[in-house]
Amino acid sequence: MGGNGKPPAAPPLEVALGSNPFVDALSGEVDPLEAWLAALDRLAVKGEDVVPLRPQLVTPSAAAATPAAQPTPIAEPRAPDVELPLPQSALARLVGEEANQKLASLLGRIDGWDRFGLSRSALAQAFPFFYALYKLYFRVQSANHAKIPSTGPIVLAANHGGLLPFDGAMAVLDVLLHTEPPRLPRAIVERWAGTLPFVNVFFARVGQVVGTHENFARLLGEGEAVLVFPEGVEGIRKPITQRYRLQHFHVGFVEHALRARAPIVPMAILGSDDQAPILFDVKPLARLLGLPTAPITPTFPWFGPLGLLPYPVRYRIVYGEPLCFHERFDSEAALDPGLVRALANQVRRAIQTLVDKNRA
Amino acid sequence: MKSVLITHADLPLGRRIAKVLWHDPKVLRILALGEGAIPRVFNSYRDGVPPRFVYERIDLARQRSVSELFRSKRMRVLGVDSVVYVPRHGAAPEGAPVVAKIPARTAEARLVLHHAQESRSIRSLIALGSAFVYKLAPSNANQLTERSELDLDPEVAPELRSWIDCDMLFNAEFASARLRVLLLRVPTVVASGGFVYLHPGLEGTAGLRVRPAGFDPLGSVISDKDVARAVRTALHTDMTGVFNVAARELLPLSVLGRWTRRPCIPVPGPLLAIASGAAAQFGGERLRGRLEGPYLRYGMSLDTRRAAEELGFTPRYRVGVARAGDGVMRVEAVAI
Repeated sequence: MGGNGKPPAAPPLEVALGSNPFVDALSGEVDPLEAWLAALDRLAVKGEDVVPLRPQLVTPSAAAATPAAQPTPIAEPRAPDVELPLPQSALARLVGEEANQKLASLLGRIDGWDRFGLSRSALAQAFPFFYALYKLYFRVQSANHAKIPSTGPIVLAANHGGLLPFDGAMAVLDVLLHTEPPRLPRAIVERWAGTLPFVNVFFARVGQVVGTHENFARLLGEGEAVLVFPEGVEGIRKPITQRYRLQHFHVGFVEHALRARAPIVPMAILGSDDQAPILFDVKPLARLLGLPTAPITPTFPWFGPLGLLPYPVRYRIVYGEPLCFHERFDSEAALDPGLVRALANQVRRAIQTLVDKNRA
Repeated sequence: MKSVLITHADLPLGRRIAKVLWHDPKVLRILALGEGAIPRVFNSYRDGVPPRFVYERIDLARQRSVSELFRSKRMRVLGVDSVVYVPRHGAAPEGAPVVAKIPARTAEARLVLHHAQESRSIRSLIALGSAFVYKLAPSNANQLTERSELDLDPEVAPELRSWIDCDMLFNAEFASARLRVLLLRVPTVVASGGFVYLHPGLEGTAGLRVRPAGFDPLGSVISDKDVARAVRTALHTDMTGVFNVAARELLPLSVLGRWTRRPCIPVPGPLLAIASGAAAQFGGERLRGRLEGPYLRYGMSLDTRRAAEELGFTPRYRVGVARAGDGVMRVEAVAI
């Protein structure tokens, strides 16, 4: 302990960078857990992107040649240096070259996980599946893409329908495929989605964000495109008699758009209200189970969970003229509840007009 | 020039901070406190007459020993004017409870704060706190600023409770005119070689952990070297208040666990609830904290803009996974 000026006889307490802390420095014995974990590592390394920094991986022979005290340097990621996974599955082969280029361009801007949980590898894996839904199942047609600003913060506001949020997925994909450079809109999801096992992780990894004020403000502050369904749960549980009639709007998105000086682009999504028409909503049962809705549809609950699957209806997505409230009002206007409600109603009317015009 | 007292300098973070301050030309003397024997890394620091670095063994949770230290001649001779409060962490983060079942970490914070206020020479106190004190909403990545709500739920696990208590003790002194108190809230600290500190679930020895199936929260991380840099920056400013500090990177719990040799096995929530209930029944409070902490379900991302703008601290190390010289993939911190 004292040892003034004397070199230490035993190995230092601090493990040098590059040495293995799971090997006993004195006896050389390896932690029994280590072998099992090493096998786990080898499996994990095969996945292309569990590594957030995309370090330079070295071969075992190169590792042996590396001096023990020096870690392999981590390379800074370069945007164009994107390797797409080889199209091995039938789904992946379906994705055309243009869509692949869009995806590559988008993935090049993501490094590991972003602040909201978006994962580069999860997005790359989910893309072919949703692309197949977009092209083959829902056969999406869309128009007026020029209305979407190519840069800066925007709020995309759309009507909501169908039991499961496939309308959100199709809208996200449509924006991604029709903007240059490709923009991935971050859809705002209900807070209770964050409590659902597996669903919360999936939503976060493919870019959906739980709708808190902090998240919304931060997304717009970072210049992202944010997709909102201002009807909320009311939209997806409306009965067949109300289809394509917009329900009561939440107003938070207008507040944030005013504060972030972002235009609001109205969107009409046609087809979502036909994918799972609700004949009756058993509200007492929904309350009992803590669910947003307990629907009766032509197929649910008669066919069990399969009855929830959407019907293969054709989707049409139409973008409206951006509403630039921020040019007429300053950010202080977000504090006026009456004005914010009036502006939200204006957005509602714009979407309803788009829906009615394109249904005709 | 500052003369600095560092608590728990025998633990990994304390050692790292002491080393950084030793190489800081603006630090005149260092009084390092620890429970254990002096770490060998400090041997070379004790040369010189009078020594620039003094190491003292002390039990910081005991009133008498702390009181004697702060009134000792050594303190006067060294002219200590700043305290860096490094909390208890590492393999045995809690320590034995002292009076009235107060956790050792809370007792230590209270005693150090009290004696720093009473001291005539001490003018500033820099405390390391945990970012796990925040209340987490059901979301994979909560954006947390310094103003975010703390988790004051009475049912919170004792491990987190002690962090929250320490945080509130320091919070109460921000308005003090006599003592400048600055609290750095740090997320999971990772160190080269795959070490993890200040994460309630992963701290401690390597080995298996559990997490609720279907949840994989994203969390901020920071390198131990950046923590030491943040402390040094805080020491030389006149700022007071709370500052979040974190690296730019975020890692999911599963990945962080895997690459630090603490793989988290997903277990169905109902099974975890049963195990947690049993732990609560039989007094396994640390186990209970590891089974049901909100940090196992909901993620957090620290907003560090205040630290960047007001404190002038930006992280200099990126945290990621790299293959070290021995060929093993581990969490490493590399200078930007």
